[in-house]
Amino acid sequence: MSFFRFIGFAVVRAWQGFWRNAMMSLAATATVILMLILLSGLFIVISGLNSGLAFIESKVAVTAQLIDNLSEVRRDGLIEDVEGLPGVNAVLYVSPEMAMERLQKAYRERGETLDLGGADIELYASLEIALDDPAFAQAVADALGERTEVKLITTKQSEYETLLEIIGTIRMVGIVALVLVGAVVLFMIVNTIRIAVYSRANEIEIMRLVGASDSFIRWPFILEGILCGLIGGLVTVVLVAIVWDPIQPVMVTMFQMPTAVSAQFLASLSAIILGVGLGVGAIGSWISVRSNLSAAA
Amino acid sequence: MIGTMERPVTRVATDTKPVISMVDVGMTYPNGKVALADVNVVIPAGDFVFLVGPSGAGKSTFIRLLIREQLPTGGRVVVAGRDLARMRRRDVPRLRRRIGIVFQDFRLLPAKTVFENVAFALEVTGSSRAEIRRRVPQLLNLVGLHEHDEHLPTQLSGGEQQRVAIARALVHDPDMLIADEPTGNLDPVTSWEIIQLLIQINELGTTVLMATHNQEIVNAMRRRVLALEHGTLVRDESGAAYEREY
Repeated sequence: MSFFRFIGFAVVRAWQGFWRNAMMSLAATATVILMLILLSGLFIVISGLNSGLAFIESKVAVTAQLIDNLSEVRRDGLIEDVEGLPGVNAVLYVSPEMAMERLQKAYRERGETLDLGGADIELYASLEIALDDPAFAQAVADALGERTEVKLITTKQSEYETLLEIIGTIRMVGIVALVLVGAVVLFMIVNTIRIAVYSRANEIEIMRLVGASDSFIRWPFILEGILCGLIGGLVTVVLVAIVWDPIQPVMVTMFQMPTAVSAQFLASLSAIILGVGLGVGAIGSWISVRSNLSAAA
Repeated sequence: MIGTMERPVTRVATDTKPVISMVDVGMTYPNGKVALADVNVVIPAGDFVFLVGPSGAGKSTFIRLLIREQLPTGGRVVVAGRDLARMRRRDVPRLRRRIGIVFQDFRLLPAKTVFENVAFALEVTGSSRAEIRRRVPQLLNLVGLHEHDEHLPTQLSGGEQQRVAIARALVHDPDMLIADEPTGNLDPVTSWEIIQLLIQINELGTTVLMATHNQEIVNAMRRRVLALEHGTLVRDESGAAYEREY
């Protein structure tokens, strides 16, 4: 019962403190929102690019175009040899007929019809080789290059490496920006709580003299910082939820994010936003209370 | 006007166990200033003691040591049976609930009413609302302010504000009340009213230690006097006047 009284006391005092020092509290909350929006943006972009990366990884990593009129025996022998190469996950033989079907399907999906003008065109047969890891692509390509059954080799290595580079750069820039904004947020919260502590120095002194325990004195200030983080987090969650509707289809179509993942994405992002908001609020106010409370009264 | 005196706990008047015991207490600040030197004092329960001396004599340091705002650099301070140097930090709030303290400047919260100022001391120590509703009117009645409970401190006279401060100091039914210059900001008539209130509180069993410069009051009361000069206890005399009479 006394624990609940303590919680009630601390929450009410934190709420009163937040509004008593409204300008400073709202400024700190605004910086929390700024940081969380930046974090959300970074999270969305990196998740999108990671999904794109996973999509590329899952697709054919090496394609070997076969020479015309390759006998079935030689073809099967080649497939067996390729399957035995290190890093090879699966080998799919795509016949000229299958290749034509794919082409027609691709046209249909775009709402067009493939018109060959009556010409009897035969596409080339190929092997589509999925790898355990895109890092094996070069070794597999080299091994295929020595085979007479293979006419042309293409890999997705360059696309993969470009995307990896972009993700790395965005991640680095984003993390640096987040750290800088995070430092500003901490500074704002530390100062907000410092001002709150000094503006209530008389109350704190009286609390000490009448025998209030440290937790009764400290926790309202810590909760006040947490309140800045919580309000900032909730506002950011609402903002992200509003802009998520137009973003979700882009994530699915452009970045190939699986639909199931994209449906869960907002919930995960909201949990991260609230967690980070609360965490930053708690850390900032804890630092401030530790360094300022004993000096105030 | 002092109200009817009601206290839930009445103490046995013959209990002479010391509430305060100071043995060879010294206090030297980091800058080398000696605030107290070799102070030896025993104050039994139920005593009424004046602490006198010029400004800078060490009265404030004496009080700060009793409420464990500071620890002495030498000697031993025992309050309510607890050696303060050995006390853990988390036990200090419990000690302070056994010591009520009032100051010359009242230290009331201006935005809170009389009732809220007294209730605040209970609220911040985890008392229930029922306890607050029961206890605060009792204390306001004790100090004669039960009809002013909705007033803000600024709507009260100096004497009334000091009564509120005294009511707040008594919320935890302390063993001892420390009054640091409680009449310093009051006119002579009001000062006497406050003294009368302190006497009545003392008669109900609470030990009272009052630091003061008011010679008239000390001389008229003829109680035990502790006189400090330059940090040294120069006089500890019962039924005494403000200044040495022999």
